[in-house]
Amino acid sequence: MPAVSAGAKIALGECQQQFHSRRWNCSLMEGNGAVFGPVLDTGSRESAFTYAIFAAGVVHAVSRSCRDGQLTNCGCSRRMRPKTLHRDWLWGGCGDNTDYGYRFAQGFVDIREREKNHPRHSPELARTLMNLHNNEAGRRAVYSHTVVACKCHGVSGSCSLKTCWNQLAPFRGTGNRIKDAYDRGTEVAFNRQGTRLVQTNKRFNKPTKEDLLYLAESPDYCEADPGIGSLGTQGRQCNKHSQGMDGCNLMCCGRGYNTYKAKVSERCQCKFHWCCYVQCKTCERVVDINTCK
Amino acid sequence: MAGVVLETLSNRKLLGLVIGVLVLQVVAFLIGGLIAPAPNSATSLLATKCLGEITEPPLRDWLEPWGQNKCVSIQSIDEVFHDKELVFAVRFPLMRENVQLDMSRWFQNIMAIINVEKVYKNRDLAFPATLHMDARLGYKNKGDDHWTELVRSTETRPLKCEPPEIKDDGYNYHCEVLSLFELGSCHHDYYLVNIRLPMQGGLNSETGRIDDLTLVEIHQNGGFTRVWFALKTFVFPLLLMALAWNAHRVRKLDRQANLLEKSLLCLGCTLVLLDLPVEWLTLWMHMPFMLLFSDIRQGLFYSVLFSFWIIFTGEHLMDQLERNRLVLYWKHLSAVVFGCICLFVFDMCERGIQLQNPFYSVWATTVGMRLALAFIVMAGVAGCCYFLFLCYMVLKVFRNIGAKRESIPSMAKNRRKFYLGLIFRFKFLMFMTLLCAAMTVIAFIIVNVSEGYWKWGADNTVQYNSAMQTGVYAMWNLYVICLLILYAPSHKYKMLQEQSEATRE
Repeated sequence: MPAVSAGAKIALGECQQQFHSRRWNCSLMEGNGAVFGPVLDTGSRESAFTYAIFAAGVVHAVSRSCRDGQLTNCGCSRRMRPKTLHRDWLWGGCGDNTDYGYRFAQGFVDIREREKNHPRHSPELARTLMNLHNNEAGRRAVYSHTVVACKCHGVSGSCSLKTCWNQLAPFRGTGNRIKDAYDRGTEVAFNRQGTRLVQTNKRFNKPTKEDLLYLAESPDYCEADPGIGSLGTQGRQCNKHSQGMDGCNLMCCGRGYNTYKAKVSERCQCKFHWCCYVQCKTCERVVDINTCK
Repeated sequence: MAGVVLETLSNRKLLGLVIGVLVLQVVAFLIGGLIAPAPNSATSLLATKCLGEITEPPLRDWLEPWGQNKCVSIQSIDEVFHDKELVFAVRFPLMRENVQLDMSRWFQNIMAIINVEKVYKNRDLAFPATLHMDARLGYKNKGDDHWTELVRSTETRPLKCEPPEIKDDGYNYHCEVLSLFELGSCHHDYYLVNIRLPMQGGLNSETGRIDDLTLVEIHQNGGFTRVWFALKTFVFPLLLMALAWNAHRVRKLDRQANLLEKSLLCLGCTLVLLDLPVEWLTLWMHMPFMLLFSDIRQGLFYSVLFSFWIIFTGEHLMDQLERNRLVLYWKHLSAVVFGCICLFVFDMCERGIQLQNPFYSVWATTVGMRLALAFIVMAGVAGCCYFLFLCYMVLKVFRNIGAKRESIPSMAKNRRKFYLGLIFRFKFLMFMTLLCAAMTVIAFIIVNVSEGYWKWGADNTVQYNSAMQTGVYAMWNLYVICLLILYAPSHKYKMLQEQSEATRE
């Protein structure tokens, strides 16, 4: 289904954009055809983020394809009254596309988790519950933040009649919300019955449906370890002057870094001409590049 | 002044009437809230970026975003293409669940607005800019092979965009929605919109990069139209009967009808015109003027209603002055007429011209916008003047009532009855009017704040918006029907008068 792969693509792009200055830079999502790499085998924060952003990407892409007519099997409303689609459409129009995207993603993404029944207290059940929760958080990051726009069209265009609709917000905002949820994610474990996940630290607020849940602390991603889905930071670029995560000190885990000069040419002083070309100059400059040892 | 039915009606009958009216009113609200769907539905359609031949005149060939003759399209405007031009194409309705839907005549009217999606790219643009477009609207019916042109036009719209809060690549500008077209009828099955943004002579140079166009198509829901037609068709004969009965009563009088009776009949007639369910014809005939016609009918009804209130209050002033002449109310009525003419001119400028060119909008140019605003402000001022006049007159009536109250016990029996009747009549209408006006205002507020509740995911079982539309409509109809019945000349009153005169003799 092209819409799903488009969703996976924007999710991957957004993930890499959000994590480009972290040790884990979402790179494990690539390769071997599958979107889900080994990082997802551990119930870490990163895997929580990955599940959420993938679900969000599917909602976003599906509702977008519904709007331009490329996807012909999008749903119509769920209204009770007339039974057939055509009468439904005549009676009250079709439902919202984001709504359809949400329901589609619910069916498509969650189905893998619901395939099997796992026994109580099993780690598989814990992962299933965690994934289902994070998928929902991702979907909500799209649909509960759509922008409502309205138009007045009553007598002589007055507001005695008003119609509203949803506008899909750009995916960057969704990525930010899920990243926020990643930063304030909640560590969870089984409750006594082994049927539900509850937070390990009872002093914090209960996680909401928009929060991300994880089961295990993340590895430090310093050394390459395919088992836990870590590529290591060797060869990664870092910023010599930064004290943050992208700074060479933290990024390279104290192993030090190599510096070399490189000439980069980039497009600059671009001007957009309607329609549709961008006129740019090519600028060259020499930069210092630092890579982790 | 003659007695009216209201004064001679027994309490039991009055109570019965009030209960009957209340029941009908509640039923009208419930029909709107529970049976009818929302009055309108909106569909967002993302325009497909088709590549077409560069032609003279522009947009010579139709470009279909999907369907049999699907155009060659690009995903992003960053893609490079040569010797072609970019056309934004939208076709509606879309396919759903693999079924090709079609527009129905039950939809009555179509409105389209466009939303410009601009991705923020490292620099701030000077807004507001003007968006120039060549737009073309066509239709096709089932069985047709080709699209038929409905209208083509070159349009400009003011484009107002705010840069995003986080000024970073990947965020979108917040642009105000632009009206695209308004069709007073929905007579065909499929519609196709082609929009080209010309660039000759530096046009559109200031709008910069436009990533996507989203077209939002709004039409009246078929279900709502059915309920609405049913309501109108039900109310129309009721009103006609009340009007005929009232006219019959007036004709049976052995004197000329007075001003109040005439204005009440006039009010009934304008409402009959408003209720006349000519909309049924739209199912067979192409009537693009229906939007304008409905506006005019509503305007006419409300202007006569406002005039009626003035005349009614004036005729109950009880200051011994013989009025009964329309000329005496010229000040008040000219405020009403002036306000209505202003709104009429405005409406003709917008929806009148849209009959010729559906893409036209009076708000699109600065001059047009100022002109439209001027007319609306003038109408508002006239409305305020009217309201002040009315309040002043009502206050005067209440003062006179207070004065009369004191002298009533010392009056002769007939005179006392006359004045008590007058006061009762006036207060009853005041009460009814205030109630209806308050309900209308409440309905208006609910319609306008309901977007706050407009949260989806939750299935709306009660349609507030529809309930308000049907409820308010039924309310003013019942109001006028009550007036026609209760304020008709009473022959019982005449009989009583004759009796009392006979006994006195």
